[in-house]
Amino acid sequence: MRALLFVIAMLVPGIALAANNVTLSSAVFLEKTVADSSGRARIILEAPTVVTPGDRLVFILNYRNAGSAPASNFIVTNPLPAAVAYLGSGDSAQVSIDGGRSWGTLPTLKIRETDGRWRSARPEDVTHLRWALKQTIAAGAQGKLSFRGVVR
Amino acid sequence: MPSANSWSIKNVQLLHVIPLVIATATIGFSSSAHAAGTTAGTTISNTATATYTDTGGNPRSTNSNQVDIKVDELLDVTVAKADPGPVPVTPGSTNQVLSFTVTNTGNGSEAFNLTPTTAIGGDQFDPTTTSIVIDTNNNGVYDPGVDTVYTAGSNDLTLAPDQSKRVFVLSTIPGGGNDLDRGDLDLLAAARTGTGPAGTIFAGQGQGGGDAVVGTTGADGVDRGAYVVQSATMTFVKSATVLDPFGGSRSVPGSIVTYTLVATISGTGTLTNLAIGDTVPANTTYQPGTILFQGSAMSDAADADAAQFASNAVTVQLGTVAGGQTRTVTFKVRIN
Repeated sequence: MRALLFVIAMLVPGIALAANNVTLSSAVFLEKTVADSSGRARIILEAPTVVTPGDRLVFILNYRNAGSAPASNFIVTNPLPAAVAYLGSGDSAQVSIDGGRSWGTLPTLKIRETDGRWRSARPEDVTHLRWALKQTIAAGAQGKLSFRGVVR
Repeated sequence: MPSANSWSIKNVQLLHVIPLVIATATIGFSSSAHAAGTTAGTTISNTATATYTDTGGNPRSTNSNQVDIKVDELLDVTVAKADPGPVPVTPGSTNQVLSFTVTNTGNGSEAFNLTPTTAIGGDQFDPTTTSIVIDTNNNGVYDPGVDTVYTAGSNDLTLAPDQSKRVFVLSTIPGGGNDLDRGDLDLLAAARTGTGPAGTIFAGQGQGGGDAVVGTTGADGVDRGAYVVQSATMTFVKSATVLDPFGGSRSVPGSIVTYTLVATISGTGTLTNLAIGDTVPANTTYQPGTILFQGSAMSDAADADAAQFASNAVTVQLGTVAGGQTRTVTFKVRIN
């Protein structure tokens, strides 16, 4: 029995021993347009104390390699909450309109209407977002990803 | 409303927070989305996942924290009159119906207070509202005894998001009006939670435990219906021509007098149970079988036709006559 446990410990990447430790945090802000003192429209972000349909939300993901070893093939996936329609994101984001099974950019994705015809996907069809970073995330490195949506 | 999250950033300019380029995109909703939007009280939960390969070549993943945002209630309502035009009424009539459609364009179930206003400038009379009735059976028509009377607090007009309901306002029309007099009536529907300028917040009063927020309608709506009096009046002209036994027109014994009675009905309404009668003058004798009604011969007997001669008088039942029409009766007498 003791030997068996030892084998399992060898197979499972040990958390205590790992040098990799990537953290990911999610935050959501309400996007508002307000006029500044000179009357120009400014976009501000604030904590979403009151949120109603039609409000625009900004989703921010912060990642950080808090460990001592690099992390490669770094992919961040964010399922879109059902009550949020996608508006746009940084241009490196891939989107999915089928629950994350297939990925691409909006113009390349087609969706089938109830009448059987195919049409190009629209932002509100998006179900998932994904960022696949080409570079390895060095130890101590961090970054920020963001996208915008509107409350349906 | 946020969950118990520690927000550290507030009122920060966008560019300081997001160095990434934010692509613009047109806003569009899929056809399945409700016009009123996400139901109040719905929680928007967001969690992201990172996957990567560690130095040993092993796949690893980590989840972000979960951010929960509760969708608050938007208070919005519209009122639209449902009659194609002013509703025709007669002076002094009761339970005259104006129809309106009230629609909850907010995203939560909401009760609406209904208030009629009749003191409006520019019209000729003020109807007196006697009750407001909700179209309980949704057939679009006022059904006395079937549709329920609106009573604030006990029989409210409560509408789900996107739901519409027909509402009937019943009024008494003042007597003595003139033809085509108009009486306006405004029906106001106001969210029970509260009204005010768009953006007004009623903390904690939204459906599902969030706040209630006044939307672009101000959380109230109003539209104007109107009654129009349709009445009719009758003018009555009697004339006579005389034919004497010698071919002249002198009134001498033996002369035949032809009386012509013309009833002219004017106005946009109708007159019902209209009858005209004329007693044969003294010193004359009615000439049997001489009644003409609209040019057609009538019998003297009390029978199926409209005219009769009885008790030395000619009587013609005109029945229901609409404004703009005339009725002509003639009969002859002989001077004794």
